[in-house]
Amino acid sequence: MATVIGKARVEEPAAAPVKAPRRKHAGIQSHYPFWFYLPAGVVYAVLFLVPTFIAFYFSLTRWGLFSQEFIGLDNFRQFFNEPGLLQGLKNSLIYGVITSALKVVLGLLLAVLLTSQIIARGWLRSVIFFPVLVSTIGVGITFTILMNPQQGLINKTLEVFGIHGPGWLTNPSLAIYSVALVDVWKGVGLATVIYIAGIVSIPRDYFEAAEMDGATAFERFRHIILPLARPATVTVIILSLIGGLRSFDLIWAMTGGGPGFSSDVIASVIYKQYQAGFYGLSTAGNVILFFAVTLIVLPIFWALNRKQVDM
Amino acid sequence: MAGVTFDAATRVYPGSDTPAVADLDLQIEDGEFLVLVGPSGCGKSTSLRMLAGLEAVDDGRILVGDRDVTHVSPKDRDIAMVFQNYALYPHMSVGDNMGFALRISGVGTDEIARRVAEAAKILDLEPYLDRRPKSLSGGQRQRVAMGRAIVRRPRVFLMDEPLSNLDAKLRVQTRTEIAALQRRLGVTTVYVTHDQVEAMTMGDRVAVLKDGVLQQAGTPRELYDRPVNAFVAGFIGSPAMNLLEFGAEDGGVRFGGATVPVERSVLAAHPRLLLGVRPEDLEVGDRGLPVEVDVVEELGADAYVYGHAVLDGGPANVVARVRGRSLPAKGALLRVAPRPGSTHLFAVGDGARLG
Ligand SMILES: Nc1ncnc2c1ncn2[C@@H]1O[C@H](COP(=O)(O)OP(=O)(O)O)[C@@H](O)[C@H]1O
Ligand SMILES: [Mg+2]
Repeated sequence: MATVIGKARVEEPAAAPVKAPRRKHAGIQSHYPFWFYLPAGVVYAVLFLVPTFIAFYFSLTRWGLFSQEFIGLDNFRQFFNEPGLLQGLKNSLIYGVITSALKVVLGLLLAVLLTSQIIARGWLRSVIFFPVLVSTIGVGITFTILMNPQQGLINKTLEVFGIHGPGWLTNPSLAIYSVALVDVWKGVGLATVIYIAGIVSIPRDYFEAAEMDGATAFERFRHIILPLARPATVTVIILSLIGGLRSFDLIWAMTGGGPGFSSDVIASVIYKQYQAGFYGLSTAGNVILFFAVTLIVLPIFWALNRKQVDM
Repeated sequence: MAGVTFDAATRVYPGSDTPAVADLDLQIEDGEFLVLVGPSGCGKSTSLRMLAGLEAVDDGRILVGDRDVTHVSPKDRDIAMVFQNYALYPHMSVGDNMGFALRISGVGTDEIARRVAEAAKILDLEPYLDRRPKSLSGGQRQRVAMGRAIVRRPRVFLMDEPLSNLDAKLRVQTRTEIAALQRRLGVTTVYVTHDQVEAMTMGDRVAVLKDGVLQQAGTPRELYDRPVNAFVAGFIGSPAMNLLEFGAEDGGVRFGGATVPVERSVLAAHPRLLLGVRPEDLEVGDRGLPVEVDVVEELGADAYVYGHAVLDGGPANVVARVRGRSLPAKGALLRVAPRPGSTHLFAVGDGARLG
């Protein structure tokens, strides 16, 4: 425009440099005196720091209720020689990836639906969250009954359409996937709520600008919602991946790791060691699980967060 | 390009029983720069958004050219809008922001690049095309928002308070730049502002809104010289026009010692009258209304004197422009009278112009 008028432009000061160095501690400054943090600090230390270090220590011992004996890394050696370990690790990964991926996709689609102008929106939003609130064991038992190959409601319904349903939990190559689906059903409400919060926080201007620019509903989804709901996506992926990798209760309630060891995950392998009285060994397993989850999740978290945009 | 017609367009927001915009009748010529102005909440944005297609029209019609677009979706109206907060997509570069509409409509990459480069040149944005909006200054972002509209070559530009996020100095500069750019491109433009100075300096014509009702549309000069009612008279011009209430007397109203002549028929119908006189039309002399000086605002060449007078209806504030270097002191008593022929008369109740 300066060229149009032909007079010098008054430029504002400090058009930010191309690569503004990211401020590490933007706004996080100590607003309170030290003693104000003390109660929280004590709670944190007693409930989180101390047990973590005790766990690390006990993983290096052979321990029972009344005795303990330091044995170095023996527990870890033994844990890595556990015959079911590889299968468990594989299943944990499958379970984590499948539940996480499905929760992202379904959660996003449901959130788009539940942020649109539909009737009974508030009611529908609570319905989708309901499974999150009920007991996992209860859900597990209910679905075990529903998935019964002969008597279960699912296969009976399929029968009506002339489809011979599989043995959802009795087929060794299917069991882990069946449980994963139930996990998705139970957990997708949380993903949806996170996505709804993410979508609602996108300023309405962007949608209107896109509408003026001629974007169709799908293009608005693709170019506005998807990129700008990215923080929600990161949260959903990370939360459900962590949950999936260390998942135990639903699997235990539905298959007990079976048939055979076909649906054993790391957490159920560890649990069986506890049951058998190998406390030190299973503590070592938990430490390994902790590092494994961290090792998988942390790089993903960094990668996802690198391209964050501010609205 | 095309003109725009509001034909009795009305918008009533759900849950409200008074319309946000009522029976708006407004004709905007092809290539014209029309400014919608009025106090906050008077329905300017709503009118603009109705034209954009972002707000439903509850009654009446809106035409772009000869085409009735009342029920046409925004993307099919061929209208571009500059939002108050610019609404630049934060995850796209400046260039991608400007080219987004073209990309959506399937224009080829070369053509997009060419048109974005052209707009960037006009707007001095060439060095910033690869940057994200966040790393730009307010003025640069404002220009990107303009660029995004220009690139599309729409039939109509809409701008909703596009300068309100800029500081005062930049606002004045950008004001002239936008006006010049609009003249150069010749695209019909509807511009919304609450700032009457912006309205007067930028618009070919200005439409004044109050409470969702169009008060007057005309050139800045028409609005200034012949406001149709007391509201427009008080809204346009700074400092505002003096509006003083007088009782009708024989032959006119008595402005202190001076008499302002009023037509006999008007006097007969209106026992009380609102007399409007602009600060620059008040002359200091030895006859006229006594005004006690409260504040003197010196501007260099001249000064505004803010004071109060006692009328038969009670005390009233009076502003007068005085020239020269010998200015009255605070507390001094001046006598002011309007220059002959410079006064406006309005009815006391509805404020309608008389004669
Ligand atoms: N989405 C809405 N829902 C209900 N009322 C609204 C909405 N938007 C604006 N209004 C009301 O309509 C009137 C006009 O608003 P608006 O056009 O935004 O005014 P302006 O832009 O002139 O400040 C105001 O009284 C405002 O409160
Ligand atoms: Mg507004």
